[in-house]
Amino acid sequence: MTFTLFGLLVQAALYTIVISGVSIVAGFFIGLCVSAAMLSANLAIAVPARLFVSFFRGVPLLVQLLLIYNLLPVLGLNVPSVVAAVVGLSLCTAAYQAENLRGGFAGVPRGLLEAADMAGLTPLQQLIRIRAPIAFRLTLPALTNEAILILKASSLVSVVGVVELTRMAQDLNTSLYKPLQLYAAAGVLYFLINRAVAAAGKCAERRMAWGRA
Amino acid sequence: MRRTQNGLGPRMRFDFALVASRLPEILQALGLTLMIWIVSLAAAALLGFLVAVGRRFGPRGLDHLLGAYVELFRGTPFLIQLFLLYFGGPYLGLSLDAIPAGVVGLSIYGAAYFSEIFRTGFEAVPRGHVEAGECVGLSRAQIVRRILLPEMTMLILPATVNMAIILLKETAVMSVITVPELTSTISAIGSEYYAFVESYSLLALCYWGLVELCGWLGRLAEARLSRYRFATS
Amino acid sequence: MTEHAIVVRRLSKRFGHTEVLHDIDLDIKQGEATCVIGPSGSGKSTLLRCLAFLEEANAGTIDVYGKPLGFSEDAAGRRARLDPASIRAVRSQIGMVFQQFNLWPHMTALGNVSEALKTVRGVPRAEAEERAMIQLRKIGLEDRAGHYPAQLSGGQQQRVAIARALALEPKIMLFDEATASLDPELTGEVLNVMRALAADGMTMVIVTHEIGFAASIGRRIVFLDKGRVLLAGTAQEVFGKPRNPRIDQFLDTYLDRGAAMLI
Repeated sequence: MTFTLFGLLVQAALYTIVISGVSIVAGFFIGLCVSAAMLSANLAIAVPARLFVSFFRGVPLLVQLLLIYNLLPVLGLNVPSVVAAVVGLSLCTAAYQAENLRGGFAGVPRGLLEAADMAGLTPLQQLIRIRAPIAFRLTLPALTNEAILILKASSLVSVVGVVELTRMAQDLNTSLYKPLQLYAAAGVLYFLINRAVAAAGKCAERRMAWGRA
Repeated sequence: MRRTQNGLGPRMRFDFALVASRLPEILQALGLTLMIWIVSLAAAALLGFLVAVGRRFGPRGLDHLLGAYVELFRGTPFLIQLFLLYFGGPYLGLSLDAIPAGVVGLSIYGAAYFSEIFRTGFEAVPRGHVEAGECVGLSRAQIVRRILLPEMTMLILPATVNMAIILLKETAVMSVITVPELTSTISAIGSEYYAFVESYSLLALCYWGLVELCGWLGRLAEARLSRYRFATS
Repeated sequence: MTEHAIVVRRLSKRFGHTEVLHDIDLDIKQGEATCVIGPSGSGKSTLLRCLAFLEEANAGTIDVYGKPLGFSEDAAGRRARLDPASIRAVRSQIGMVFQQFNLWPHMTALGNVSEALKTVRGVPRAEAEERAMIQLRKIGLEDRAGHYPAQLSGGQQQRVAIARALALEPKIMLFDEATASLDPELTGEVLNVMRALAADGMTMVIVTHEIGFAASIGRRIVFLDKGRVLLAGTAQEVFGKPRNPRIDQFLDTYLDRGAAMLI
């Protein structure tokens, strides 16, 4: 594999990272809202939230992307393909992150909140000062896992015409006919990116160890 | 993928007559999807089990080798794996048609995940139960068959159902390498009539229904098997 | 003239179909340490948690310095739930120490003790930390101020928990089996802190298994059995002979908890 070919793939890989990164972050905040909505006593909020989670976890990402890609223009939103792709990825990861966050918040020991009650913290203060940091720490492994899943899933946006790593390899292949080298190289790049993310996750977990060995 | 000005075809409302007329085709594609799914699921579970057993009970070198396989196939996108197999395979003397390539690809992908599920399962069975078996004189194989497997089955059931659902959804990816399964068939129908939004909506509903059904069956199985719940604490 | 810090009347609590507290009447005097003892399942912890409004009683009233906690009952016996602000206001006079310590794991000892001062009372950070350090010094843990709970022993964690409660200058301190989760060697350091508090005249309600400790520190002993107050009085009245047979039975099982000195 020549240097420039690999360079093109690396560039595309960077684009993959950007797309994935934006989707993960957007998905986190959307997931946070959905997670809160699922716990709401108001059924008009809780039910659609649960349906949202059920839909985006029950339908293959590829189908979600194709649907959103074609639906947006119909709704009057003529956006570039990459935007449709990011919307699709974000909504998909939001559903999974909502579930992870639900687990995280449920994992905060009740006693800690009782102590906060006795100390006089209002529910809002408890949410910000106690529940959020601890829930986040509990969710961290699942968050890292989700980041890796999105990075791999981003390969599907090649189907809606976004030139990220997979699409770049495909395009190069149509003119060069070297599928083994190109796709293997792409695979290696994905693998390395995922490893880096996993390592970053472990690092974050260690930073938030709060004195535990 | 062609984008039209307006994704909705000449008929603005979703046309059930249209679906009815193409129903045989759709059902055939659904049948193919289910067949690919079941075969890959079984193969992946079997292969994954063998890998887990090899890693746990085999020599150190095997553990490292299989570990590398698992890391590699869990760390790269399924689509890339399919491309390598389907487009790259012929260059290595392995020429597979689309459907076999899909099945083989999904099996190998799934096996990597199943091996981890089984490995966790092995470790989740309390050491004491295995030691009790050793003390009584059971052989390695007998311990696996009579102690580990039954106890494991209950422990790993949720993860297994989850994985089965994941594999079902991944069958959609095979449409990219021209396997005539559900996604590719309904996409094609949608293109024919310029009814993209309707066709993809239908497609989404189909998968959603299948996944919900699968999840329900899984919960049923869990409830049934929990009658044999072992005290593991 | 000692006033009553807490007045409990006709308190009842049910969990599902199980009646855990029956019609409890209790007076906690200001400046006194009251120890609540009794067999497992007698409702001691539930009673204490009701005093903290961590459990809501099904009937009866709790008045803290004359103000109702949680529910107000009119002459006809109808109960009305009070608003969260009034509950918080009454609670601010009460500090609680839990069996499981419940220190916030993501904050240091100093962070735990100063948190409520900063967040609830609006005290500026520097001053809050200074006041927290004073509390930590009182319990002898100022050199551990920067440590996280995971880096402290059980006894140290519980002492930090006590400091955390004391930082808010409560008028009443509740202790829910404060030493039950500690290894025997570590209970001493916590009991000493509690002794010092009692000597200082803090109003305390202590649920405990440490009978010897209860007898020595408790101006008043309340013996709870199956959700009712079997006996309440001074240590002499409760433990002195001739003894209530139920208490005899109870002490038998607690021989190794310092009860031997009473027999």
